[in-house]
Amino acid sequence: MKSRVILAAFIIPLGLIIAAVPAYKTLSTSVSPEEILNEVRSGIQIITTDEVAEMIIAKDPSLLLIDIRSPEEFEKFNLPGALNIPIDNILSDEWIDIFDQNIKMNVLYGNGTTKSNEAWMILRQLGFENNYVLQGGLNYWAETIMNPKPPSNINPDDEIAKYDFRKGAGQALGGGSISVNQGNESTTKKAVIKRKKKKKRVAGGC
Amino acid sequence: MGPLIVNEIISQNTNYLLAFVIGIGFGFVLEASGFSSSRKLAGMFYGYDTVVLKVFFTAAITASLGLLFFSLFGWIDLSLIYINPTYLWSAITGGVIMGAGFIMGGFCPGTSFCGAAIGKIDAMIFIAGLFIGVLIFTEGYPLFEKMYMAEFLGAPKVSDSLGLKDGVFAFLLVLAALGMFWAGEWAEKKFPREEY
Amino acid sequence: MNSKKSNYLNPYLGGVLLGLVLLSAYYISGRGLGASGAIKSAIVTTVETVAPAHAENTEFYRDYKTTHPGNPLKSWLVFEMLGVLAGGFLSGAIAGRLKFKVEHSPRITSKRRLAFALMGGILFGVGSQLGRGCTSGSALSGMANLSLGGFISMAAIFGTAFALAWFFRKNWI
Repeated sequence: MKSRVILAAFIIPLGLIIAAVPAYKTLSTSVSPEEILNEVRSGIQIITTDEVAEMIIAKDPSLLLIDIRSPEEFEKFNLPGALNIPIDNILSDEWIDIFDQNIKMNVLYGNGTTKSNEAWMILRQLGFENNYVLQGGLNYWAETIMNPKPPSNINPDDEIAKYDFRKGAGQALGGGSISVNQGNESTTKKAVIKRKKKKKRVAGGC
Repeated sequence: MGPLIVNEIISQNTNYLLAFVIGIGFGFVLEASGFSSSRKLAGMFYGYDTVVLKVFFTAAITASLGLLFFSLFGWIDLSLIYINPTYLWSAITGGVIMGAGFIMGGFCPGTSFCGAAIGKIDAMIFIAGLFIGVLIFTEGYPLFEKMYMAEFLGAPKVSDSLGLKDGVFAFLLVLAALGMFWAGEWAEKKFPREEY
Repeated sequence: MNSKKSNYLNPYLGGVLLGLVLLSAYYISGRGLGASGAIKSAIVTTVETVAPAHAENTEFYRDYKTTHPGNPLKSWLVFEMLGVLAGGFLSGAIAGRLKFKVEHSPRITSKRRLAFALMGGILFGVGSQLGRGCTSGSALSGMANLSLGGFISMAAIFGTAFALAWFFRKNWI
């Protein structure tokens, strides 16, 4: 009888504490700082503007663009279909399911890449996968996709092809007259980035 | 960081040695709590002795809070621990068969080994039964296979299925367990029996 | 900690200790406790030794061999269950409970008790394989890591036992 009260006196406060801490704090953290350093150094988290443009045009369902700027900035301009999660909110319970999943490819972007890289590192440290950073952010997006510079004549063919793609994409995405679904389907390949294989779960069972 | 074996902090052989040590702790606590006595175990289902309920649920809430706190402190990576996969129909059918075995035999596999260790002959017979039962399953596997594999749900967590945070669910589990303990002690007063 | 009428451990203290044992199993080996799996290992080994041809030709043993390479007896659960025997013996020896006996209600004979123990064991053996784990492996360990399967097993085992308790009351009360 009395021992039950003692048990309750210990375990209820502990239960309350664990109920009160934010969900991400008790989630798996399987990535070591060394691994993250390796990933950052090899730039594995970066997705080029061309890849993203292709995916947007192809309406690739696996792409989820996440705008980490403030809602005001988001209102002014955003990429098509982007979700606005200001960087200060990335740890709230509301968004955990979006960041911690294995189905979609989340591409974080801000004006530059400083903030999106900061956000990516935090998410990576929590062990989340499938989060990426848009190369150069919106500034570079504007430079490469919205207003691509024509290559000079001495450039090799693939530079010219790239320019053509960017020009088309810019028009499609910038509200030009070209319809979005046109053509590009065939050239679209899904951006697949291989990550280092995770440590395996323990095999067990009764 | 744990689990030690996955993070290669200990070798496979050390792991086996520690399994033996963990087993000693497991067996010791079970026996010391009275789980080597089938009448004590069965007492739960008649309300005269709810020690099973108390030990079982106290252990469950202690371990689940422990795991969450370990994860919170960064001592263990919960994504690396083994979670039994859920196959809905086999889990329910298997559970029902085990429940019938429990009330008839008075033991479960773990407790029967404890009972056998201190000389309970009924526990030894129960273990013999376990061997026959497992052999029936392995030999008759084609008969069970369809049900064994049906309705695979992956390895979901209850908290996810209910849309709750792990911590909140663990806290609710604590409250539910304490409620049951209270009911159990009430039942023990209502259906008193002597110790065996 | 012992109360007047019982020399058993206080159940809540026992529960906390059991919880800590379970927690250390997760921390060290990344898995929960179990029991029935050790019996399966023993059965597979026996069949492979006694009737190797039969083991070769039967689907279950072949699958088991491919998914569990190496000697089936060299498994975590087998070592753990050997520990359980040792630990149970140790505790019984300390508390002076070592004694060969058949425990049953005074209202039934030893023979009846043993017959029911055998039947119960057989059912538990089949059920634990079908349910992928017994009370410790599936229900207790599953509840600790909040797995849905653990709670389903727990509810099914204890629910059924409660539901059938009335029919077998003579054996126990």
